[in-house]
Amino acid sequence: MTTHASFHHPADDPAVAQAAVARDGVLLSADPVLVALNTRAGGMIGAPLAVPQLAAITKLSQRLGIIVSRGTVIADDDVDIDLWVRAQPDGDHIRLTVSGWREVQPSRAPASPRRAVLDFQATGADLRWETDASLHLTFVSLDAGTRYGFDPLALLGQPISAMVALDADQNEGAAILDALSQRRALAMLPARFQGTGLRVRLSAETRHDAHGAFAGYAGGVQVVTDLTAGGERGVVEAKPESDQLSPTFTAGLDRALRKPLARIVANADSIHAQADGPVRHDYADYASDIANAGRHLLALVDDLVDLQAVERPDFTLLPEPIDVADIARRAAGLLSVRAANADVGVARPAFDASIAAQGDFRRVLQILVNLIGNAVRYSPKGGTVVVTASTEGDRATVTVADEGKGVALADQTRIFEKFERVDPSEPGGNGLGLYIARRLARAMRGDLTIDSAAGEGARFVLTLPTQAARDQDQHQP
Amino acid sequence: MSVGPDPMRDAALSRLHAIARAERARSRGEDRLDGSIADFFLDTPARLDDRARALIAQWLRGVVGGIETDIRRHAARLLVAAGETARAEAMLTQGGAMLRLTRAGLLRDRDLMGELIARVRHDLIAQALPSAISGPDTASLLVRLAAVPDTIVATAATALLVADSRRRTANETGAGARSELPAELHHRLVWWVAAAIREGLHDLMKDAGVPSATGGVVQSDRAITDAALRCLAAHDEGERLEAVAARLALAIDARPDELPALLVEALGDRRLALFIAVLASATGMDFDQARAIVVDPEGDQLWLALRANNLDRETIARIGLALSEADPRRDIESFAEALDGIMAVTEADARAAIAPLSLHRDFRVALRALTRSDR
Repeated sequence: MTTHASFHHPADDPAVAQAAVARDGVLLSADPVLVALNTRAGGMIGAPLAVPQLAAITKLSQRLGIIVSRGTVIADDDVDIDLWVRAQPDGDHIRLTVSGWREVQPSRAPASPRRAVLDFQATGADLRWETDASLHLTFVSLDAGTRYGFDPLALLGQPISAMVALDADQNEGAAILDALSQRRALAMLPARFQGTGLRVRLSAETRHDAHGAFAGYAGGVQVVTDLTAGGERGVVEAKPESDQLSPTFTAGLDRALRKPLARIVANADSIHAQADGPVRHDYADYASDIANAGRHLLALVDDLVDLQAVERPDFTLLPEPIDVADIARRAAGLLSVRAANADVGVARPAFDASIAAQGDFRRVLQILVNLIGNAVRYSPKGGTVVVTASTEGDRATVTVADEGKGVALADQTRIFEKFERVDPSEPGGNGLGLYIARRLARAMRGDLTIDSAAGEGARFVLTLPTQAARDQDQHQP
Repeated sequence: MSVGPDPMRDAALSRLHAIARAERARSRGEDRLDGSIADFFLDTPARLDDRARALIAQWLRGVVGGIETDIRRHAARLLVAAGETARAEAMLTQGGAMLRLTRAGLLRDRDLMGELIARVRHDLIAQALPSAISGPDTASLLVRLAAVPDTIVATAATALLVADSRRRTANETGAGARSELPAELHHRLVWWVAAAIREGLHDLMKDAGVPSATGGVVQSDRAITDAALRCLAAHDEGERLEAVAARLALAIDARPDELPALLVEALGDRRLALFIAVLASATGMDFDQARAIVVDPEGDQLWLALRANNLDRETIARIGLALSEADPRRDIESFAEALDGIMAVTEADARAAIAPLSLHRDFRVALRALTRSDR
């Protein structure tokens, strides 16, 4: 089957699907998405529910006579789907509500709130705190109190405003109030401690109960000790002090980090693969998280090395005859697994198409991998990324078009700048890819442009000189 | 006349040392083998999981180390005041009370380890309990209780918030671990540590060539004693999380019709200690006894205790589900299987079945010891 015509995108509401199951386990009725899932598992309406995880939760709810809800992962074809399943006894049958429908992507943030909270604790906040659903503090860690001169215990049972100032007329307070009122996570928002007036940054994950209702925050406060850091909005938007990276710094970074990181990734991968014998399931999962984080850092090292190179005034690339259609097919092939995981189809140039151009093979591949990778990341599930190659006059063109939310005109310049991202709230990426890609394209006497409107998907166009253009250039004085 | 080392005597001594070392190594090797064999045949329910093991080790290190530091520092001050500077300095030399007590097998004390293991299991389950809100934007149970007009309830609820935060911080960071042991166990531990310090000090002074028959020994013994007594006086078992939860349960004094909601809400607020304390108070058990049946993954006694309070099927099912979600050792399927059977037990039968659990703790221990011995 094609990956992007999968079952879990009904045109109506894909988020929640319902079913009714009789007390003997027979599926009475179900929304199309659940019917499809059940059919794929070999069941049908009027026969026992065939998806084992759903059947188990339904049966448990029936036997206990209460609502049972829990997260589960269901294998469907070659992908895993993260579901939240709620089974509720309702008269003579069990009502099943299935939401989530997230594909499991190990590189993404953990789906379970408890895991997220644990991860958060590991980030080393000065004070950790939790609230209940009414935003009253139910837990504060005590270690920071003596260091920063306040009594954390006095905060317990108090509203969150007893901890940090939330004046609506102050910018900072307003941003936090806004996030709190919408029950959104807080990401390093600047604030002031009540009482001491200490500058801090506030972060928090939301917690939910078994029915998915907001159950409170679990967060941390980081005391801002660095004066310059106080005014910044957050890490994502932080920029380095100097615009230039020194070559020695980059080379040192590369040397110092690449080997240890590669070793971390390799070891974590072998733990995850249980190469040296069985490992408890959750430990194997941690190992996978470690490997992914390591890969992310390795990619960052690569980008920084590239960045340093492309920013040198004398940076050029030796042009050679290349076939951009062939490179586009290879780039699409390299990303086919990631695309399949994200349930995005990639349409690539026809097998026999050939478009000649002048450029550096490896760098063009790098640009296209970056563009297609971005397109896959921002594509909706079931969407298609279309990669085409053509010749227009003396320019060879590769276009990567997606069906994502597109890039507003106002942002089209920004996203090619250093440390800027199409969507800063999206996880992954470091904001260097497009900047480097455009620099590389220009170093090959080509260019990288975007042609998009918000809501219409993005079209990135890579142009490179063709052979003819180069000859023409060479004949000019 | 030469006073240098006697090579013949030294060679003989080092041979003796080598033999002794080899003997010790052989004996430790055998102990290790015994340990490995015992470990292999340990049945799964008895086995501590990695997190419990790590928490127990962290707690023991933290508390034994804390008591040791308190005693050494104070004893050293007393010795300086008494003019025993050399002993005061030796007193401050980092000692290994933890290692000494472990080697001696003293820390294998059944009461101490029993308390510790039960507490760590309690903490791990409490931490893993799923949240359940009382209503959208509604304050959680303990926050509400901390704000009620009844000052006895409000004070106890605030104290439980504090005790819970303190326990969690110690568990999560390893810092600020306090013994939080029942007074009797705390006493035992303090005197063990004091004994280990005394022994270490004597060895140190002997190695330094200080004769033991001086008044210094009397001085250091007195200093260690005074420091240990000071450490005992500072311990308030009423501040323990367990004691605070029991106080709150007594203050709430739930009526039978309030009991189901209170138990379910305490679990939903992830306050396992309060759940246990309320159950203990309703059933007439000690906190320790109620905790033992709550953290026991088999759970049969817990269901009986709940039935003894005439709890309905839905309440028992919710409690069973929440505990199963939090404790991977529990088997929710067999609980679901057994639920109808549990409900078939009448309140009176359940009360009779758990009656022995309400007996005085020492009486219970004595009865069990007698049952285990030959007639």
